[in-house]
Amino acid sequence: MDPLFYLADTLIFIGIFSLLSLSLNLEFGLTSLGNFGKVAFFMAGAYAYTLLAHAALPPYLCFLGGALIAGLIGLVITLPALRLREDYLAIVTLSFGEILRTVVKAEEGLAGGVRGISVPAVFHLGSSRADALANILLTLGCLALCFLLLQALAHSPYGRVLRAIREDEVAVKALGKNPVYFKASVLFIGSCIAGLAGGIFAQYLNFIDPTMFLPTVTFLVWMMLILGGAGNNWGALLGGVVVELMNRGTRIMKDFITLPVDPNNLQFIFFGLLVILILIFRPQGILPEGPVKTAARKEAQNWISSL
Amino acid sequence: MDLLVVDRVVKNFGGLRVLNQASLVVKKGTVTALVGPNGSGKTTLFNVIYGLTPADEGEVYFRGKKITRYPPYQIYREGLALAFQLPRLFNQLPIMDNLLLAAPVNSGENPLRALFTRPRWQEEERALARQAREVLELLELTPLALRPAGQLSGGQRKLVEIGRVLMAKPEMILVDEPAAGINPVLARKIYATLKKLQQEKGLTLFVIEHRLEVLFDFADYVYLMDAGRVVLEGTPEEVLAHPDFYTIYAGESRPWRVL
Repeated sequence: MDPLFYLADTLIFIGIFSLLSLSLNLEFGLTSLGNFGKVAFFMAGAYAYTLLAHAALPPYLCFLGGALIAGLIGLVITLPALRLREDYLAIVTLSFGEILRTVVKAEEGLAGGVRGISVPAVFHLGSSRADALANILLTLGCLALCFLLLQALAHSPYGRVLRAIREDEVAVKALGKNPVYFKASVLFIGSCIAGLAGGIFAQYLNFIDPTMFLPTVTFLVWMMLILGGAGNNWGALLGGVVVELMNRGTRIMKDFITLPVDPNNLQFIFFGLLVILILIFRPQGILPEGPVKTAARKEAQNWISSL
Repeated sequence: MDLLVVDRVVKNFGGLRVLNQASLVVKKGTVTALVGPNGSGKTTLFNVIYGLTPADEGEVYFRGKKITRYPPYQIYREGLALAFQLPRLFNQLPIMDNLLLAAPVNSGENPLRALFTRPRWQEEERALARQAREVLELLELTPLALRPAGQLSGGQRKLVEIGRVLMAKPEMILVDEPAAGINPVLARKIYATLKKLQQEKGLTLFVIEHRLEVLFDFADYVYLMDAGRVVLEGTPEEVLAHPDFYTIYAGESRPWRVL
């Protein structure tokens, strides 16, 4: 087999998971919103993309529409929980992921239920090599765009308010800012990005079914963020790359080494161990969070150096 | 002019009546003090005024407008700011950012503007940084501007809490024990600054304070609370001359000389 396809597959999955991990960084890393239903918004984006593509909309509108639909679902689902204590958000999002998957499984007419649904490919460039390259470019292009966008938000007064909400929500309220507005906007943006990742996923695989959207996806994304460094977009990106490579590495490795356990469980044992070690020895992740960089910080650095 | 009016506010915590028909008025441009024994309801009254604790009965008016059911962020936008008794700083953020977060206008806090009008909010950030520097100089914290707030000592935290409120440039400030845990020289300086803001900018101050020797130099009017209600009011001289002030609050000894 042409190694290009394995490379394409690796890069595209790194791109998709990095998008999810970046979106979780905005929600959890900066704002401490525990979204345990990442897979639901990923799934909503994938299915919305597919249905729009079947309605013969141009691909860019399908991606955009899929992202917006996922974003709106994110907003509607979480809005009631935002006024409550933060643990309720975790419960609501976790259960929504299960509900959405169960509903899609049970439903037959629209998206094929358990049988899944085919997704029309965007690229028909004549050769499958060219298609694979185009898919790499599409995925990494989206990743680069979202990364720049999230980095700009993180290092702006908006990003500063998000971190302040994480530190002390009552104080934020006392300083004239409505935390619910900020948290809702974060979950909208985060779910849009997860939805975009879903669209890319669906169109790359050309087929989706409900078994692809198990809660493990959410936990894998959490692991990426914890490992890479919550609060740091570079960390989220690094986590996406490292965990996806290890995921593939353990899959390859189990064909070559013999262990007293079922080799299929090797990666879970390995990942579990890794998360525990990281949380004990480096809880801030590989790349810890840095300060908000705006013009105000430069000013302050100037006075301090002139003291 | 009556800037803040508290009208027969009642607050129960379970079976405990913490505020029992408390009423008072703060006039515009004054330094008004709230004193009283521990547990007399002073901080709870501040929390009720600021919308952090909902009142069970009674109303609060600010500039003639009923603000009783307003959330704190809306009260802040009306021109009232609160400095907490126990500082609530953003511990992982630098002191500088703690101050910037209190600025009344910062257009980059809107996510769309954060993305699309970067030059404009960067300019605003520079202006706010200069404002923050003035506050930091005043509090003698300039060299620590980029230290995370979590690394500060208790007294320094108190200073940042007050600095944040100064940064907000409100019409009226509620300050809960500004001088607690701060050395006497700096405490006087904070009061002198607050007084200066009152005289030059017409700022109105409503202060809870136990250090009477500091307070009576600065306050124009004093309310004494006991068991959830206002029991005595007047100018510092009137209150100091009243026998109830000693039985309820100050005790028999008089370490603070009458001014």
